[in-house]
Amino acid sequence: MIPVKQAEPTKATAKYRSQFRIYVDIMSVIQRENNQAKPTRILYGANLSHDRLVRYLEELKTLGVIQETGTDDKIYGLTQKGIEFMNNFRRVESFASAFGFKI
Amino acid sequence: MEFIGFLIAIAIANQALKGYKLSKEKTLLYLNVSFVLIGAGLLVDGLASLIVLLAGARRGFLYPFAVGYSINFLAQLIAYGLLVYAYIHQARALSGPALMAATPLLFFERNAVTELILIFLLVYIATQTGINYSINKSTNSMLVFGAFVSLSIAHVFFLIFTVAPIFFPFAHIAQLFGFLLLLAMLLRVNQPT
Repeated sequence: MIPVKQAEPTKATAKYRSQFRIYVDIMSVIQRENNQAKPTRILYGANLSHDRLVRYLEELKTLGVIQETGTDDKIYGLTQKGIEFMNNFRRVESFASAFGFKI
Repeated sequence: MEFIGFLIAIAIANQALKGYKLSKEKTLLYLNVSFVLIGAGLLVDGLASLIVLLAGARRGFLYPFAVGYSINFLAQLIAYGLLVYAYIHQARALSGPALMAATPLLFFERNAVTELILIFLLVYIATQTGINYSINKSTNSMLVFGAFVSLSIAHVFFLIFTVAPIFFPFAHIAQLFGFLLLLAMLLRVNQPT
């Protein structure tokens, strides 16, 4: 399980992504890129600023769900733990979606 | 039939709990609590019916029926109320005291008023799940929509049962069918990827 903090919107109209959602978005981009994603692709795909991307990538590496796979250029891939997490997440997302809940 | 419903409700609750542990999404926690309550209500009602059938029906010993139904009604009232709350306020924090149920002082037989309350809540949930199905058109959404429609129909039959006892088995069949649809959804979600 990935420990997460829940982001709370400060205004009624604002809808912020939770830390968990950002983790999932980053990992989804990596998965979509055949498990070999460059930081630029992740940055655009997960809609993050450079600073936040660097911070989240470090956090995900610490959690052991992604790893750097490139030698010259930085390329990120999911670890086995990351793949298992995404499989579980897809199940949960599908379950919640069946009831009409978004996660 | 209540025991099958109980097992399916607990399986749904377990899946919702897994989802909550993974995502910390509160709506999944509400879903978990709702189905635990639904399962508990069905179990108590089923056990009460069993006690009456095995021990005392011939001597007019019907008090457990009323106790079982009252507990089942309150459990369902809170459960469906919680689900309605989850649909209305999808991500907001829940104020605990608002959900605390008053301890029942009197036990009551199945009656039109309690059934109407449950039908009202279930129709709302069925409508929400129907809207969800109309948007995403997935089989899982259809199964959940079908389940809540079936549970609504079951309570309509329970309502009619208060004046026409012949509808009692139909109500149980509709209720069981609803839970079987939820089971089908659960099995689909957990198919190996």
